[in-house]
Amino acid sequence: MKSLLKKRLLPVVAVAAAAGLALSGCSAGGGGETKEIKIGVLATDKGNLAFGMDEAKAAIGVSMAAIGGTIDGGEIDGVPVTIVYEGTDGTSASAQTAVKKLVENDGVDIVFGPVSGDEGETVVQYALTTPEVTYVNGSASPVGMTLAGADNFFRFHGDSAMWMGGLGDYAYNDKGYKKIYAIAEDYSFPYDNAGGFFSEFCAAGGSVTGNSWVPVGTTDYSSIIAQIPADTDAVYVGLGGADAASFLSQAVTAGVKKPLVGGTIAVDTTALSGDANIADVAVGTIAGGPVPGPDYSSPEWQAFVAEYAKQPKAFPSPSIFSILYYNSFNSLLLALEEVKGQLGSPDQKDLRAALTALEWTSPTGVIKLDANRQAIVDNFLIEVVQGADGKLTTKQISQTSGVKQGTKTYDRFEGCPN
Amino acid sequence: MSSSKQTSAHSGTWKRWVTTQNVVVAVVIVLGVIFPLVVDRPRFWLPNIGVRTLWMGTIAMSLVFLNKYVGLLSLAQMTFAGICSYGIGYFSVTMGLPIIPSIILSLGVGSLAGYITALIAVRTKAIYFMMITLALSQVFYSWASQAIEVTNARRGIAPIPRPNLGFIDLNDITTFYYFALFLAVLSYVIFRYTAKSQFGLAIQGIKDSPERMSALGYNVNRYRTAALTLAAFVASIGGVILVFDRNQVDPSFVSLDSTLNILVVAVVGGIGSLGGVFIGGLVFALLQNFAQDFTDRYMTLTGLVFIGVLLFFPAGLVGLGPIIRRLFSKRAKTSASKASSDTPTVERRAGTHNKKGQHK
Repeated sequence: MKSLLKKRLLPVVAVAAAAGLALSGCSAGGGGETKEIKIGVLATDKGNLAFGMDEAKAAIGVSMAAIGGTIDGGEIDGVPVTIVYEGTDGTSASAQTAVKKLVENDGVDIVFGPVSGDEGETVVQYALTTPEVTYVNGSASPVGMTLAGADNFFRFHGDSAMWMGGLGDYAYNDKGYKKIYAIAEDYSFPYDNAGGFFSEFCAAGGSVTGNSWVPVGTTDYSSIIAQIPADTDAVYVGLGGADAASFLSQAVTAGVKKPLVGGTIAVDTTALSGDANIADVAVGTIAGGPVPGPDYSSPEWQAFVAEYAKQPKAFPSPSIFSILYYNSFNSLLLALEEVKGQLGSPDQKDLRAALTALEWTSPTGVIKLDANRQAIVDNFLIEVVQGADGKLTTKQISQTSGVKQGTKTYDRFEGCPN
Repeated sequence: MSSSKQTSAHSGTWKRWVTTQNVVVAVVIVLGVIFPLVVDRPRFWLPNIGVRTLWMGTIAMSLVFLNKYVGLLSLAQMTFAGICSYGIGYFSVTMGLPIIPSIILSLGVGSLAGYITALIAVRTKAIYFMMITLALSQVFYSWASQAIEVTNARRGIAPIPRPNLGFIDLNDITTFYYFALFLAVLSYVIFRYTAKSQFGLAIQGIKDSPERMSALGYNVNRYRTAALTLAAFVASIGGVILVFDRNQVDPSFVSLDSTLNILVVAVVGGIGSLGGVFIGGLVFALLQNFAQDFTDRYMTLTGLVFIGVLLFFPAGLVGLGPIIRRLFSKRAKTSASKASSDTPTVERRAGTHNKKGQHK
């Protein structure tokens, strides 16, 4: 009898204990109180964007300094914040490995990054499979990322088509370019970047006299320059980094007399500080992007630039990557402060609500989100000018506020984009 | 009497299978099978380490097979795998074909690519063969980066979700891991079987002396072509695992970096060992995931590991086995000789006698 009682009692006690444990476990873990926030940062630290990690750390350093933290973490309303970093090489493969490691191995609550467009498209696909983690984009700019339907993915800067916002109209109406020849690198970023420009330019009434899509790393542009028709008013240069520098120096040699229209990364410091005397062709180039000209000044911008300069490994002036990473990370930090470090449950709903409702004045203007969790931002048009010392620099033409995302993603196109 | 004969024949066959190599293979397969059960975070370990090791190993194994049995170092194996991956993306996503026919067609396309490469490259050998396969793989890379109608250029084809094949649902990561393990073991069996078949002996003969085999009436180039096509088929099996691991396909699959990674995996594992590549793959996957936890210069660390392996274990990590065995046997010998020097002479003689008797 006794043993029977024992036999019956034991499972009951065991089940009750298990239920009790499970309940207490639920109230500790699932009940919603956040004890610690772990943010995983994806940034490039090798390959041709190897400086991405330093720029990301500089941006995060500026943002964390404002709450008394460091690049390794801090505290928000008593909740400790830890930041871990994972380096990539800018390819989708390395981003996939790194993001899985951050989420599954390091157990981060929030993923922040990545840098390149190839990586971004992969990370969004991964975000769709992990709805419990919140993703805040770093600087990846393909249009389609916020149109993929990932409710947990937020982007606090413009896409690469938005970066051309206003330039098409300006080229057609103010500069009077009616026919433009397009040269651009053959990958997703220039598709969207050129797509944004030409859709506006063509809508204004302009036409395209031809498109040359060149592989990244092309050094010889002589045959392409020779193809530019004589009745072209201007040439669109959707190249970046060393490719843009090569093109500009060869355009001088070949005697290109057409004015240029630059993609967002065509007239950065790499291209303008090239060895050859490229002033003949570069001066007068107009371009659009999220980075204001050197003459831009707002209190937020000045504060950012001053704080950025204090960061280790900072460039002489902030690059496009540090600006985008700062705007994005600071948006995240502001939302975390809004919810007092409590992410909410299920699926970090409080944090996501705060991110969605966020509106603040960043160094580059007001940032708020649309229904696709894509930022509505300010965009800048700039023109290359020759400074008093003969060095090439840029001058801001205009600042457009409230630039919204279109719903169109671009692929390689001939003539005007469809 | 006859039954005892049968038993001894049985035990003979059985003993024939119990070689050191087979025991090691069995242990490795068992470790592979229990891997998902012993890791603490399967959603990280299975895709990032397990499945990655398996596809890198399978592709590298096709390289090792060609090197070991045909004497040709092919740098196009990653490309064949990538072609198969592209095939699956194109047939299933772009054309909307069901997944099983897509996989079968893509294995065919990958093998066909190997056959065509063989037709071009098979008359060359050594460095020239390597250069031609490298050149062809780069041609495909450039084409894949540009051909927007087929490969969707740089953006690639995505997403390629892991399918539910009806009898097996690959969406579950553990199931997918076992599926990958099955394919990797199958590839290994194909190569082991081929190496022992008449065909395998012929290609090994061709490797040692093509002139002599030619004089014996073998069509050397045809045999080499067949071996290359078979290796491309196995690389394509690796491509099947790869594309469902990555859930997309883009030109980085067939870039020079990926090609060289496979070569590194093969060399680190052991360029002369079919199974050793999985050790190479494991080391490489671990380095890719964890090297940067120790140092910012993690590419340098990976390079140093590679140099270290080449310096100290020229036969790859799998060469560690014989080294350890030699160490042990040396120690055993010294301890045996020590023990024997301690024992009285008579007993030693008796021991020898006994041994002899047993032998008789």
